Amino acid sequence: MSETPIFHDSEADLSHKAKWFANRLVIYGILALWTLICLFPIYWTLTTSFKMAPDVMQGNMIPWVDFEPKWRGWKSLGLSPDTIFTESTVREEFLKRFWNSTISALGSSALAVILGSMVAYGLSRFRYKFGFMRNPDISFFFLSQLILPPVVLALPFLVLYKQLDLLDTRIGLILLYTLTVLPIVIWIMRDQFQAIPVELEEAALVDGLSIWGAFVTIILPIALPGMVAAFILALVLTWNEYFFAALLTSTDAKTLPVMVASQTGSQGINWWSMAALSWAAIMPLIVIGIVLEKYIIKGMASGAVK
Amino acid sequence: MKTDLFNHIVQMQMSRRKMMQGVAATGLAAAAGGMGAAPAFASGDDLRQQILKIPGVGQGSPTDGDWQKVGELTLGPTKATVAEGEFEGVELTFMGLNNQNLHNFLFRGFLKPWEKYTGAKINWIDLAQADYNARLQQSIATQTVDFDIIEMGAPFEGDVLGKGLASEMPEWVKDVIDMDDYVDYLKAPVGTWGGKTYRVSIDGDCHTFAYRKDYYENEEFAAAWKESGGEGDWAAPTTWAQVQAHSKFLAGKKDPLTGLDAHGFLDPLKGWGGFGFYFLEDRATAYAKHPDDPAWLFDPDTMKPRVNNPAFVQAIQDVMDLIAIKGAYPADQINADPGTTAFQQFLAGTGGMLTWWGDVGSSARTSDTSVVGDVVGFSTLPGSDKVWNSKTNQWDMQANEAPNMAYIGWGVYVMARVDSDAKKHKAAWSAAAHLGGKDLSLWASAYPSGFQPYRNSHFQFDEWEAAGYDRDYVEDYLGSNADSYNHPNGAIEPRIPGIFQYYSVAEDELAKGFAGQYGGAQETADAIAAAWEKITDQIGRDSQIALYKESLGM
Amino acid sequence: MNTQGDLLHVVTLDTITPRRVLLGRVLIWGSAAIMALSFAILGLSEYGAIPLQFDTWRIGLYGYLFWATCLCFAQVVLYGEKGKRVLFILPGVLFVVAMVVFPLFYAILIGLSDWNLASPNGRQFNGLDNFRQMWGDPFYWNALKNMVYYTAAIVVEYAIAFGLALILASDIRARKFFRVAFLMPLMLSPVAVSWMVGKSMMEIRFGPIARTARWLGWDHPSFFGSPEIARATIMLMDAWTYIPFMMIMILAGLQAIPREVQEAAKVDGASGWRNFWEVTFPLMLPVSITAILIRIIFKLKLADIIINVTSGGPGGATDSVTSFIFREYRDRSNVGYGTLLALVYLVLIVVAITIFMKLMDRWMNPRYLQ
Repeated sequence: MSETPIFHDSEADLSHKAKWFANRLVIYGILALWTLICLFPIYWTLTTSFKMAPDVMQGNMIPWVDFEPKWRGWKSLGLSPDTIFTESTVREEFLKRFWNSTISALGSSALAVILGSMVAYGLSRFRYKFGFMRNPDISFFFLSQLILPPVVLALPFLVLYKQLDLLDTRIGLILLYTLTVLPIVIWIMRDQFQAIPVELEEAALVDGLSIWGAFVTIILPIALPGMVAAFILALVLTWNEYFFAALLTSTDAKTLPVMVASQTGSQGINWWSMAALSWAAIMPLIVIGIVLEKYIIKGMASGAVK
Repeated sequence: MKTDLFNHIVQMQMSRRKMMQGVAATGLAAAAGGMGAAPAFASGDDLRQQILKIPGVGQGSPTDGDWQKVGELTLGPTKATVAEGEFEGVELTFMGLNNQNLHNFLFRGFLKPWEKYTGAKINWIDLAQADYNARLQQSIATQTVDFDIIEMGAPFEGDVLGKGLASEMPEWVKDVIDMDDYVDYLKAPVGTWGGKTYRVSIDGDCHTFAYRKDYYENEEFAAAWKESGGEGDWAAPTTWAQVQAHSKFLAGKKDPLTGLDAHGFLDPLKGWGGFGFYFLEDRATAYAKHPDDPAWLFDPDTMKPRVNNPAFVQAIQDVMDLIAIKGAYPADQINADPGTTAFQQFLAGTGGMLTWWGDVGSSARTSDTSVVGDVVGFSTLPGSDKVWNSKTNQWDMQANEAPNMAYIGWGVYVMARVDSDAKKHKAAWSAAAHLGGKDLSLWASAYPSGFQPYRNSHFQFDEWEAAGYDRDYVEDYLGSNADSYNHPNGAIEPRIPGIFQYYSVAEDELAKGFAGQYGGAQETADAIAAAWEKITDQIGRDSQIALYKESLGM
Repeated sequence: MNTQGDLLHVVTLDTITPRRVLLGRVLIWGSAAIMALSFAILGLSEYGAIPLQFDTWRIGLYGYLFWATCLCFAQVVLYGEKGKRVLFILPGVLFVVAMVVFPLFYAILIGLSDWNLASPNGRQFNGLDNFRQMWGDPFYWNALKNMVYYTAAIVVEYAIAFGLALILASDIRARKFFRVAFLMPLMLSPVAVSWMVGKSMMEIRFGPIARTARWLGWDHPSFFGSPEIARATIMLMDAWTYIPFMMIMILAGLQAIPREVQEAAKVDGASGWRNFWEVTFPLMLPVSITAILIRIIFKLKLADIIINVTSGGPGGATDSVTSFIFREYRDRSNVGYGTLLALVYLVLIVVAITIFMKLMDRWMNPRYLQ
């Protein structure tokens, strides 16, 4: 006779459920909002590359609804469907710079990861003493390279590179970029190696491997996620580097960010080609981010919590 | 020719009828004042007509192929002075600007046929505009001049020519490029140093004044102006005092076109790597540039800055007055650099008046980037009713006008490092002469290139009309330029070393003044003057005085 | 060379014969002599003391490379297995030294000189004049003051990053998507960010951010009008780029927390809030401090966005030290003074960071500096 069904949700259960829903709502709300904040500028950049000047001015947002997308930005780079097969100086320039950026970023990141892993491993396993410098000092010596403001080095590097005949060479850029990202690689990799138990090498050494053998065949594979994370971070920093690229390159080794900056000047801003260039410039990183994302998180500070 | 303007016409696909209207208007339009050249075609008009049809107005933006075609057709002078394959094995490096994929990219196209014919090869250094000055200075100071030909603005002549880094122009080049055809202000002393000529001009620069005609045709405004006791008729201003009064009047009004807030003159209040200072100069030249005195920014005998004299203080005070009036400027004006005022504000229908290089007036009038449509007129910079006399240290109460030749224009220079190699020397000069050729430059001024007209022969409106441009429009746009170029009292900036350092520090101090961190206009001006004195002392006062006199042709 | 206290203890049975010792010493000192010779030849030819002329300093570079190689090799010869351990860090050290030593000394020389690139006299040594000028330069002190504000904003960034990381680590759907999406801002180049966001999206009339602001009830949005707002806008744009960086570091840390710890806390009946403060947060302290430290270092170099978006305005309110030096250095070619400012800044940072690290070191268990 009671109206209440047998499997009655008690008051407490109901409120619990409501709370749970509210909780979920808030969480997904935050997630959605932050996704918007993160992705909208990228969306904005992409759509702007298809806008004509008035569409940019009026801030139209949705293609085919607000505005009619045009290949304007890509055409100016010689990358639109109707210009892709014709001769275009701008496209040649773009591709050349893209290639140079790729080489310098990959080269310097790889070099930094190799050198940095070695240093990090050494610092995490052994005690060194060079003169007055012990491990903490050596760590700080490397870290301090990260702090160095680029303007300190600008003119000296110009002179040094001129004298060494390294101006406008990719090697020169690679060496310099390696220097700038080495500290961060060392930082990440040291955490990695610290998280790996020493017993592993000890066992390997007992088995007759040399210390370098153990490092290469046993430790490095375990630390791979960290290396990938460090590599990606280095790649992001070197790929976007502008200051030294503008200073030290001219013809042979010029890179992409300088070209992006060239889209502004006394005749206003070519929003469309700047957007197209920016987009083309961030594309590789976005792809890398999507493909290798799990390594980034696995690799970052995985030895952090003890 | 300005990119926007061209694109506009391209989009409009100018109909035959419209063109005929333009032709009909020809009869009414009086020849613009100050024109040197007769309204007849120059010699070789067949060729000129032919290249103006590449790709033809209404045929889309010129592409690489078009640039090369133009370069090919204008090879005549090169063929007359250079044998085919003469420069086989010569490699030249060309440093210039990449400004929105024009400038250097254009030169590549123009020079490809030249390379093919002469056998020389050119390597390119492209710089962003913001990096240009720094890169040039660093190259000079660290002896890393790694280029043979440079595209450079005349303000840097002090740095380059003054240090003897450039190669003197051979006589045969002067014949090829016909320097007599240059507009007045580009003739010596600009481009020369110590009596020697160095510069192949490829561009002309001056600031003109653009205003919204609909503001001045608006009857409500006119009535309100009368009512408020405004002096004179409600008409386009011809003096800065009027500009100021109109701007104050317009604060708080509604724009007749957009319905948004109306504003008067748009001062860029934020720096622009030194370029922003030109816009304060615009306000000051009429007060500061005395017709009897070629100098106006510095005293040529002592290098004492004149930037804190009453003329400049007047200009700064005017800006500060407007800042103090609520609604006189759009929101965030304090963060508006010149690019913003021109392209994001004026073109988009914000603000009533603006100074800019030749292009924005025309873009605003025709480009559909702007909502202001056809309601923009333009003229030379406003004048003043008094001018500061630095000799007597008092105001001369006379009407004055002084167009600001901001940046003077791009030119092509050959570096002295080719002098030791006769073949290379000739090749470099041949390339420079090709880019500065009379016919090629006509094309560059008529199509999107980043360059303005700079020869009297560019102002033959018939040629423009025959190429498909609207006569009225071309006359209006080019007329104000031509008047400024040939003005007897043009304010030409000092071509001394480090001139952009002076501008840059002035921008910083102005920004502080505009943000209210100084006691007023005089104090701000004094701060600039003090900073300038410091720079002069650092660079070397004696040498600056000598170079300044040199650049003035004294 | 002292290997006392290694984490990895290995007993090695190297017999270093006197001949090996001799060989090692010869290698080191011999190659050093050759390097010194190459430097001397260069130096002498530079001053025209000997008739040889070199276009470049390559010969010095080769000398250094030769010495560096011999030095590495000699370690093994001299110390055997122990020497091989040195080889882990020696190449890195030699590389950094090679890249930094000359530029740094040259920079100090420039910093103590009066050098305006436009000056026909070139570089003139002027001792501590630049230092005195710096002392009285209101722009520099103003920029330093701004850096304090900018650095303080890291606290907020950290809180946001932590919150996001907590959500990402919790039980949600489409986690992979959100992770990738949240990572994206880090990938963008500062040049692109300042133009596409700072100039395009924040355009007052039609920019999407301005329109949103109006829709939210801010009638006359102004992002750069007053010093405080302008500074906040710059902070936001910078935060936008770097929050993902802190977020992934914290997220990585969160995922490394053993499940048992969390579950034990749950069994104890700790509420979410208490659980966070008593279990998660303390566990995350080490990684947090690493993240914040790296973030501070990046923040102290903040420049690109400011240069492109505000040029330090209004009236220097948004100037960072680097952006101010950049104007002095690049726009005004005043390299002597600019370099000195940068060097002083470098010293300030090194001191500040050292103090920060020492404090943290004492406060927590020693973790960074073994």
